[in-house]
Amino acid sequence: MTALERAISNPPSVRGLESRSPVDGLQRRSVGFIDVFAQSVSAVAPSAAATTIPLIVTVTAGGATMWSLAIAMLLSLLVATTVNVFAKRIAATGSLYTFVSKGLGTGAAFVTGVALLIGYGFIAMFALAGAGYYLSILLHRFWPGMPSSTGVVSALLVCMAMVCLVVLVRGIHLSTRVTLIVESASVAIILILVGVLLSQLGPTPDWAVLGLDASPEHLAVGSVLAVTAFVGFESSSTLGVEARRPFASIPRSLVWTVVGAGLLFLVTSYSQLAGFAALGEDITATRTPINDLALASGVEWMGLLLDLSVAASFLACAIASITAFSRVVFSMGREGVLPSRLGTTHGRFRTPHVAIITALAIVTPVSVLALLLTGGAWAAMQVLIVVAAAGYITAYVLVCIAAPVFLWRIGELTLWPLLRAVVAGVLLSVALVVYLVVESTGERGVGVWVFLVTMALGITIWAIRHRRRPWLSSTVGVYDETVSADVLGGPSAEHR
Amino acid sequence: MSGAGELRARQPKAVHSALTVLEEVARCGAGVTAQEVSAGLDMPRATTYRLLNLLVQDEYLVRMPDLRGFALGRKVVELAHLVAPAPPPLAAREVIGRLRSSVRGGVHLVRYEGDRIRIADADPDFPLSDEQRIVRRLDTSAIGRLLLHELAHGGYDWSGLVQRPFRDAEPLIRDVERLGYARQVGEVTPGHGCLVVPIRDDRGGLVAGLSLSAPSERIERPAALLDLLLDGSHQLQPLLV
Repeated sequence: MTALERAISNPPSVRGLESRSPVDGLQRRSVGFIDVFAQSVSAVAPSAAATTIPLIVTVTAGGATMWSLAIAMLLSLLVATTVNVFAKRIAATGSLYTFVSKGLGTGAAFVTGVALLIGYGFIAMFALAGAGYYLSILLHRFWPGMPSSTGVVSALLVCMAMVCLVVLVRGIHLSTRVTLIVESASVAIILILVGVLLSQLGPTPDWAVLGLDASPEHLAVGSVLAVTAFVGFESSSTLGVEARRPFASIPRSLVWTVVGAGLLFLVTSYSQLAGFAALGEDITATRTPINDLALASGVEWMGLLLDLSVAASFLACAIASITAFSRVVFSMGREGVLPSRLGTTHGRFRTPHVAIITALAIVTPVSVLALLLTGGAWAAMQVLIVVAAAGYITAYVLVCIAAPVFLWRIGELTLWPLLRAVVAGVLLSVALVVYLVVESTGERGVGVWVFLVTMALGITIWAIRHRRRPWLSSTVGVYDETVSADVLGGPSAEHR
Repeated sequence: MSGAGELRARQPKAVHSALTVLEEVARCGAGVTAQEVSAGLDMPRATTYRLLNLLVQDEYLVRMPDLRGFALGRKVVELAHLVAPAPPPLAAREVIGRLRSSVRGGVHLVRYEGDRIRIADADPDFPLSDEQRIVRRLDTSAIGRLLLHELAHGGYDWSGLVQRPFRDAEPLIRDVERLGYARQVGEVTPGHGCLVVPIRDDRGGLVAGLSLSAPSERIERPAALLDLLLDGSHQLQPLLV
């Protein structure tokens, strides 16, 4: 009789396991792969990015837009596989914050946590502002007399925030399904439009668009800007508790999101650049390249669908970002880093409802404030995205440093994960510095300062709280630990 | 164990390696680290770690809270069909052999472990039809219905183990309650049925079942057949408990 047969027929008792997970209260192991995937995809908001990123990158990278996007995709893949070092081993709600705590300890974890909350929080504001902005454009098509003031956009923004609140509190199933449907519809609309444009361009490829006609500096800066189109792909790792088979579905969703979004960006960029080249016009002279192309191709009604799809994509992005934001805040509430009320869950819906309400209570007024201060939705969005991107990239750099250290700690370090993490870490650090320098001198420079001040503020608050509560060092890093019901011979789930 | 051995030899190498890793974790016990598994099996580290992570993804293994150690997951019980149960003792096989020579029909011995069924000794002349379905869907066969009655009695939530809606499965349980044994006609093989008498331990817990499969009319009016089975079960009881 082999040891496995003996273990099955007479399971040995396993000591050192609790009967409840430290993140008990959420709807454990309930969400399937497609919903997990939708979470990551929506946080990236591929259709909204696909309509804006080619333009933003082309302004900087000139003739190397496609190359910049391809490089950014490869870099994001390196980061995704490095994040997966953790996602394959730890089912958490704190995402990179929890992961870094397992590699580098409490201090670095908190820096990551602040950066990640900045990323999720500001991208949520960006998305809410975007949803309000595109909805106001859409309404304007039907009622040309409607005033397109900041007030209208703000009112629409608050309405969207209310929608998010209801969807998010009612349960993870509802919110992931809504984001899935909305995001699939908007990607489908973009693809239809791209198909129409490409069919008008004819079958011969425009080689000039695919060429590498830019200096190395421009290529580098273009790539960094293109990376910001991918940020958010790691957000499904906040569903570690709620996902079914989290160690399989979350790593897969990260990689698929980067590959899928990357391919979409490449196709849409090509069609936009080739479309403008065919028209003999300059893409950098417009703000809404796809709408212009639709108009020039005689399919103006597609522009209407496009506005709708981008507004929907922004709403999905807001829901996904607040999902991620609230799960990280929930982790911090459980640990005592933030007030413990934030770590409670709703008895019936099994969602972290206090964290969700808090997230929206911060995000909504701040985004309205940003609108009022910058004087318009478009200007506000430009600044908000800079703050968010800087937050994400900071968190990515830290997770790349933490991954090899974590593997070494648990005795599982091998060559390839180390190489991937080092390459990704070095390239991203350079990218972060380049990004902050480039943006600080540009018209969106205020975003860099908002990022730096918010980071400093967050870290200061943490330092004060840590001094008052030294025991935090031992509680930070909660995740969904294996419980006695998960092992062979443990009490069955029905009797828990 | 030759059955399991043959099966493994036919599997692709990756499955074989995965089973080897599971075996090593079972041998070393909960808390064994990836490095220890790699050293114990003399398997390259990168390969071992990849296999361990794959097994964790599929939940055959779980990581201990220190994140370094591994333990066997609940799902390992699903591998039980790869692992043939130990054959019953010689004395028990002799009792079953005598029964087989005195009745026309298949005589099988099954064991019950928690909510699981294991075919301990299947009649080689009358093989069980659709063993997977019998083992997984407790309402399809008499073997399963006997266990279903036992689970329902113990207050266990059995609704996930049956094919029928809850409403339709309950009369089956009452049938076992009334007769003291379980029966099934025409559901697995048309025109045939089977009946199973329980073998219980000294505290009354169900440990095994003695099953007879035969044409329908003989199951519906078992008469002397039932006495033969009950007699057999009484003889088997001290040998199996």
